[in-house]
Amino acid sequence: MPAVALALGFGMIFPIYMMIISSMRSETTVFAFQLLPVEFRFSNFAEAWSDSGLPRSIANSLFVSVTVTVVAMVFHAMSGYALARLRFPGRRFVFAWMLSTMMVPFSIILLPLYLITKELGMANSYWGLIVPSIFNAYGIFLFRQFYRDFPKELEEAAYMEGLSLAGTFFRIAFPLSVPIIVPLTIGFFLANWNSYLWPLIITQDEKLWVVQQELAHLAGGGYFTPWNIVLAAAVIAAIPTFVLFFIAQRYLVEGIKMSGIK
Amino acid sequence: MTPKRISARTRNEWVTAYGFLLPNLIGLFVFVFVPIVYALYVSLHDWNALNPKAFSGLDNYRKLLHDDQWWSSIRITLTFSVIYVPLLFVLSLLSALLMNALRGRTKGVARTLFLLPFAVTSVTSAVIGMFMLDPRNGVINRLLGLIGIGPQPFLGSTSQAMLSIIGVILWINIGYNMIIFLSAIKEIPRDYYEAAGMDGATGWKSFRFITLPLLRETSTFILIVTTIGSFQALDQILVMTKGGPANAMEVSVLYIFKQGFELLNMGYAASLAFVLFLIIFGLSLVQLKLFSNRN
Repeated sequence: MPAVALALGFGMIFPIYMMIISSMRSETTVFAFQLLPVEFRFSNFAEAWSDSGLPRSIANSLFVSVTVTVVAMVFHAMSGYALARLRFPGRRFVFAWMLSTMMVPFSIILLPLYLITKELGMANSYWGLIVPSIFNAYGIFLFRQFYRDFPKELEEAAYMEGLSLAGTFFRIAFPLSVPIIVPLTIGFFLANWNSYLWPLIITQDEKLWVVQQELAHLAGGGYFTPWNIVLAAAVIAAIPTFVLFFIAQRYLVEGIKMSGIK
Repeated sequence: MTPKRISARTRNEWVTAYGFLLPNLIGLFVFVFVPIVYALYVSLHDWNALNPKAFSGLDNYRKLLHDDQWWSSIRITLTFSVIYVPLLFVLSLLSALLMNALRGRTKGVARTLFLLPFAVTSVTSAVIGMFMLDPRNGVINRLLGLIGIGPQPFLGSTSQAMLSIIGVILWINIGYNMIIFLSAIKEIPRDYYEAAGMDGATGWKSFRFITLPLLRETSTFILIVTTIGSFQALDQILVMTKGGPANAMEVSVLYIFKQGFELLNMGYAASLAFVLFLIIFGLSLVQLKLFSNRN
């Protein structure tokens, strides 16, 4: 059984392996039927980096993904906290309404979302890339779950000390939310780094392209696609996600499990 | 505490709560709720995004009934779904069972290997797919050659493009669903299996009568999420074939995309999106009924 599992596992990473070894070949040997890493043209990475829009698109992706993630964490934690811990009229309705937005498939509202975003003057700008990506009932839902099990005593003590409700959240509850913030941060970052369709629609200016657009563009050259350079670019673009995967696999797995909770 | 103080605290709590909810309330309203209502509104108009909207009642909906290309896109979408969803379900479940049977270090290594493709973005998966499935020189054709199978056109063929793309999407999604299955399997109490074992139920029987029934909720969740996802799959299709060859991969979301963003038939595209939404919604309800209310 272990042998079967490992063999299948290596099959699963075979395409990644092929991407990496092929990214260091020459244009003439990139398709050579050679499954061993025999060539190491590291200059391909330099070429991919300097001869494309990769640096700028990576900077754009980092900026957009980090901004969306940070803002989303704060907003969603605030909403989740309000729904879990504060009493106010309309609480059930607000929660149900927010949850119902999860029923709306993103690609279905693509067109009207584009039209609305354009109406707001955000098309073809960082605003258009960032703002619509922030709001996500799923994040709110998971924060709410987390705060429902949060020890009441801490908040009571904070309130007795004279902290306001908002102060209690920002000084006590939010800093103690690391167990939920870490997996959600990873999830949000990966989802935004992965984002392709929305940037494709909302940006016209090449200077605003995110990394996935740049990659798709590089690979779209048909017969003239220089595969070794395209794959080198793909390897560079994959670095943030793979680094995140290896340093935070435990939290990634935790995040996946949370998303599976009905 | 005096009543007055309680009421001050209560009012304070209301204000804080709505203050905390405000950013998301506005955001979800503007970027999710308004688009749906707006889509419905636009779908009742003839509009090419440049001229003023002209009210056209249900004309767009009548038009889509006779739009062969639309129904062809629905057929392609359903075919894609019917192949992809069961495959993903079975492969993820089998992977989870395999992981569950492993112990110690092997388990950790195998799990990492299976999950690693999840860190590959959809565009990168498409790029790798195009490279490996190259009809002339791709490594998959070379490997097939070793066992005596001639070169296949893959993405260049109307009959093979779908399976090729499904393969790529499966590859990066199995790990995620495997983890969800695995965590559900781990929650099944061991005594169940021990008790069943004493009654002579092991192997397939214990899987059929203990594991599978107790995974019902997880299975329902995965089926619904995967089905909805399969109706929306667009990234890999756009990058790998742009809907081709010969429109063989023109799924409904792509057809809507083309009607709206390329032909600028905004009203018509909105009506198509609305119909697709109803189809997805209906299918999710059916699945929910089928899989959660049984027994």
